[in-house]
Amino acid sequence: MLTWEYPPRIVGGISRHCEGLAREIAKSGHNVHIVTLEFPGASPYEEVDGVKIHRVPIELGHPDFIVWTLLFNHFMEKKIADISKNEKIDIIHAHDWLVAPASISSKHYLRVPLVSTIHSTEVGRAQGLYNPDSFLIDGFEWWLTYESKRVIVTSYAMKSELEGHFRLPSEKIDVIPNGIDISRYEINVDRNNVKRRFGIDPSERIILFIGRLVPQKGVEYLIMAAPKIFGQHPEARIVIVGDGWVKDNLWNLARSTGYPHKITFLGFLSDQDVIELTISSDVLVIPSIYEPFGIVALEGMAAGVPVVASNVGGLAEIIEHDRTGFLAYRENPDSIAWGVNKILSDFGYAQWLVQNAKKKVREVYSWKAVASRTIEIYEKALKG
Amino acid sequence: MRDRVTQITDEIYLLCILHNVGAIYPERALSIEEISCLASMEKQKVEENLNRLIEKGYAETKTSGETKKYFVTINGMRKVLSIYS
Repeated sequence: MLTWEYPPRIVGGISRHCEGLAREIAKSGHNVHIVTLEFPGASPYEEVDGVKIHRVPIELGHPDFIVWTLLFNHFMEKKIADISKNEKIDIIHAHDWLVAPASISSKHYLRVPLVSTIHSTEVGRAQGLYNPDSFLIDGFEWWLTYESKRVIVTSYAMKSELEGHFRLPSEKIDVIPNGIDISRYEINVDRNNVKRRFGIDPSERIILFIGRLVPQKGVEYLIMAAPKIFGQHPEARIVIVGDGWVKDNLWNLARSTGYPHKITFLGFLSDQDVIELTISSDVLVIPSIYEPFGIVALEGMAAGVPVVASNVGGLAEIIEHDRTGFLAYRENPDSIAWGVNKILSDFGYAQWLVQNAKKKVREVYSWKAVASRTIEIYEKALKG
Repeated sequence: MRDRVTQITDEIYLLCILHNVGAIYPERALSIEEISCLASMEKQKVEENLNRLIEKGYAETKTSGETKKYFVTINGMRKVLSIYS
């Protein structure tokens, strides 16, 4: 399995997806090698829960990101060649365009099928192709899907995007949702202590955002909803977890709402801190404008926090409006504020959402089910 | 590279350059002169931006002889990678 991020290198959802999937496939008796990139403090090779993790050093750099990507792919390819000297590789599984060159050349060199999971597309992330890098990335994405025997996506929204944008045949695409390890969220947490640890008064009610601070996440719409939320719920506080290149813009926007003292930016937190903070929150808001899946929705649902999410992509498939969460209109602060206020004002409604959501997560989104379906796809690819 | 995101600031641009050339460990840190050359930016401007990145926890320095060298922290890496995924 090739991925540019694997814990502790965590950029977005791919890292956690690959970890959950690899562990479960290894548990079912398969030999899983992860080929990923180096990360400060992480071992170049280790075996965790039966998964063999190779962290490839990037021996050459280049100021240009695309060239940097091609260089690290070269080192990944060398690592796969080394592994193949001692182990028989049956399948190459690539996660997103960043590992496309190494995955494709390894497929041809080893003469084995390539399966790829497309977690998102450039045209979706950037909401169009507006510069030369975007066109290149779009080309890499198309190339990866073209060379793959099977293409996995995590939602029907994403399947439809690949069929439309890349003209990929429908029969080549399989939809397998993300999974979640619900046991990590079934812990007792002292909510007051957790709040104090992050400088939040125990009497305050937390409206939480977790994610990369990038345009596709739509954090600005949550911040713009602040006056309408705090007008009705002065005891609430918006807490933003994550970092990204638009953080400074978001901070300036928070100041312009008149409520900067009630909007907290916590930056990147460890997995354990995120879990404890989620459990201690009153609402989780996912205001994305583009979200092929939205694993954070599952995390909120598993943690027993009511979710308010945009009615887009995978989120609209995970959340059933008014039953397992609240679906707000896309790019609409009023709609977000309406959902948040309803949940904060009506305890019975909030509990109803939480109970239904937990049940759905338990029944549908286990890593065991995801791994078992992925193995079926591998078998299908091997049969030709 | 600046074409990627038109709103990218000088700070983020320098952080990307440091990251992409591999300055993610103290032993791979780069001097102001080296960064200025890679970024085609005046040394003074480079230094001002790097100081802001250090304040925000996205870069750190190490001293090699009499030369101050700069590298990206783990939080800085996450900031850069957020642009591309």
